[in-house]
Amino acid sequence: MMELGSGRSRGREVDMMNRSPLQCGLLLAVGLCLVLAGQARGRSASGWQWSLVLKQDKVSDAMQMPTALFIDAGQEHYYVVDSGRNRLLSFDRKGNLLHIFNAGKGLKTPYDMVRTGNGGIWVVEKGKNSLSHIDLKARRITPATLRFHGALVYPDRLEAADSLYVLDKATGRIIAFDPGSLQARTSFACPNCAGGFVDFRIHDGMLWALDRGDRTVCRFRLDGTLEKVIPLDNRLNFPVSLAIGPSGSIYILDRHSRDIVVYDRTGRFRYRFLGRGISRGRLYYPVEIRFDPWGGLCVVDEGNARVEIFRR
Amino acid sequence: MIRMAMMLLFLLAAATMVPAVAMADDRACFSCHERSGFSGRVVHEPVAGGRCGVCHNPHVARFKGLLRQRQDTLCYSCHRRQKETFARGVVHEPVADGRCTGCHTPHAGSGRGLIRKDLAGACFACHQDLERKYRYTHQPYAGGQCGSCHRPHRADNLELLVEDGDRLCLTCHVEADLAGGHRDFPAAPAGCLSCHNPHGSSRRALVRDELHQPFRRGCGACHRPGGLTVARCLECHRGVQQQMLATHSHLTRQDGNSCLNCHSPHAGDTDALLRGPVRLLCVSCHLQTLSGYRKSASKHPDIRECNGCHEPHGSSHLAMLRGDGIEVCVRCHEDQGKFTHPVGPGVLDRQTGQVVTCVSCHNPMGTQYGYQLVRDGKKALCVVCHRAY
Repeated sequence: MMELGSGRSRGREVDMMNRSPLQCGLLLAVGLCLVLAGQARGRSASGWQWSLVLKQDKVSDAMQMPTALFIDAGQEHYYVVDSGRNRLLSFDRKGNLLHIFNAGKGLKTPYDMVRTGNGGIWVVEKGKNSLSHIDLKARRITPATLRFHGALVYPDRLEAADSLYVLDKATGRIIAFDPGSLQARTSFACPNCAGGFVDFRIHDGMLWALDRGDRTVCRFRLDGTLEKVIPLDNRLNFPVSLAIGPSGSIYILDRHSRDIVVYDRTGRFRYRFLGRGISRGRLYYPVEIRFDPWGGLCVVDEGNARVEIFRR
Repeated sequence: MIRMAMMLLFLLAAATMVPAVAMADDRACFSCHERSGFSGRVVHEPVAGGRCGVCHNPHVARFKGLLRQRQDTLCYSCHRRQKETFARGVVHEPVADGRCTGCHTPHAGSGRGLIRKDLAGACFACHQDLERKYRYTHQPYAGGQCGSCHRPHRADNLELLVEDGDRLCLTCHVEADLAGGHRDFPAAPAGCLSCHNPHGSSRRALVRDELHQPFRRGCGACHRPGGLTVARCLECHRGVQQQMLATHSHLTRQDGNSCLNCHSPHAGDTDALLRGPVRLLCVSCHLQTLSGYRKSASKHPDIRECNGCHEPHGSSHLAMLRGDGIEVCVRCHEDQGKFTHPVGPGVLDRQTGQVVTCVSCHNPMGTQYGYQLVRDGKKALCVVCHRAY
């Protein structure tokens, strides 16, 4: 595995036994300075290492602008939404490509997806402005236009729990829909922010939503009650996605800085890692982050057309 | 004893020589440079003290005017507090670029803050696209009082406004008086700049020149049950609808009508009814993008019109470009589209499987390398793909 972010302080082995006490002292001082300098920049001490890539090995059939990842913990499958080629790809836990599915060329600019217990797949199709249901057994796609309080909903991000949670791109509001009737149950709105939310996660029975304009994360109960607003700092350039770590840390994907910024549960900055590029472990136009159930932090990179998974 | 006396003499001599050198500095300069050009009601402190050498090197320098350092570095070496405050919020371009003398005279002037005599003239020297006079001109604008609405260095509001738009208007205009001119307004008049041009207009009451067609017919065309949503706008503007259904769009506004982020629904200065110049609208959200552009050593020369390359409504291309990373560039750079490093369909990056385009190597929004290359073009850029070399 390739080590990221901590190479400056760990990448050199020093044989202390063969050096004089003065040399050792100097080396220790230099090492300490490097560590401190690294921490001051917030780019080391992350401990995250590149682990796996999800991509189509056949270069001529590579993904184009993948936009989302769904993880089926039960089947141990990853699903990637290949927006540019209007298809969904599934991979096993080791990153082997399993299937490519384009619903008989019926998908139009798919953007996000979830797979529900009954084997069906819900897909946000931006090209149809629809939340479409794919019945795999019946081989049928049913598009649905969503409305909330009479207004047309523009589906963007999607999560599934007891309800289907849909981020309405037009308002930045998250709306919980009944999966059967597609009637709205409740909604989650950003208090006092102009742009609304840009991404959200359901974690530990709470809904966490990212407000880009004000650089905050809002935590809601699933009944729609706002429980806490966690302010982040101004070091974020263009946050697009969030994930909540197992210990409650908040991971923010910064699309324009091409890195991930990590905050503790109170919003205090801890560190940032990754950077711009096309090589392994680098990001170009990242669009979504998500934790898998096996401790992996998955980054969907539209620009590099792949999903990279990092582990500690 | 003799040694102590010698030392005392030396110290006395040294103490008397320091001002002698400074005076010589001043006198030597004015033996060629006309002294009257450096006098006025307000004289910059180093000039008044005859310390020309604080800023200028009399023999040789790397900077124009024999300046010892970059202009802003020199200014901030004394005006330290300003360096800190001018880095925050919306920063005026000359300030961000370190061109302090665009507005200030460095030696002497007649006004406070060593502001150049004709400040409005200095403003118009850059803001050339602004008309100097309208059929109906706002009084402060006509009087060249740019500073009554705009801050010269930095502000918390876009367009460097002293206050948020409405509040600024109400510093002169009395709210109670406005009701008479807004009889059909459903609430207290607000969003003044949506309809009025604060500089001037060919219409009375400074109503902007171009009126939205439905607005000409009355309010009811838009203000009807169902809400003022994006869908309401798209009922007429069908061409935009497909762009809104792209992978990425600018549908971002909590009240549900993101069209209003950039467009006025009532009146504008052009038929696009934009709320302001394109770049200004873009940086209202993408301020850090502009900041990064400014700090870059190599950047595309003119990005005034962001929508030249980016599709502001929506696009299924990266960075919401108007086309792929070749189409956008070759509209201007025709030759590079014909002979260059192979690009386009069939030329795939082995690492990502993506088509190699102009933006694979260049970033027009600015980099630290020549030709806006994303890495050093001598080697580092090439070996990303050509690893065997």
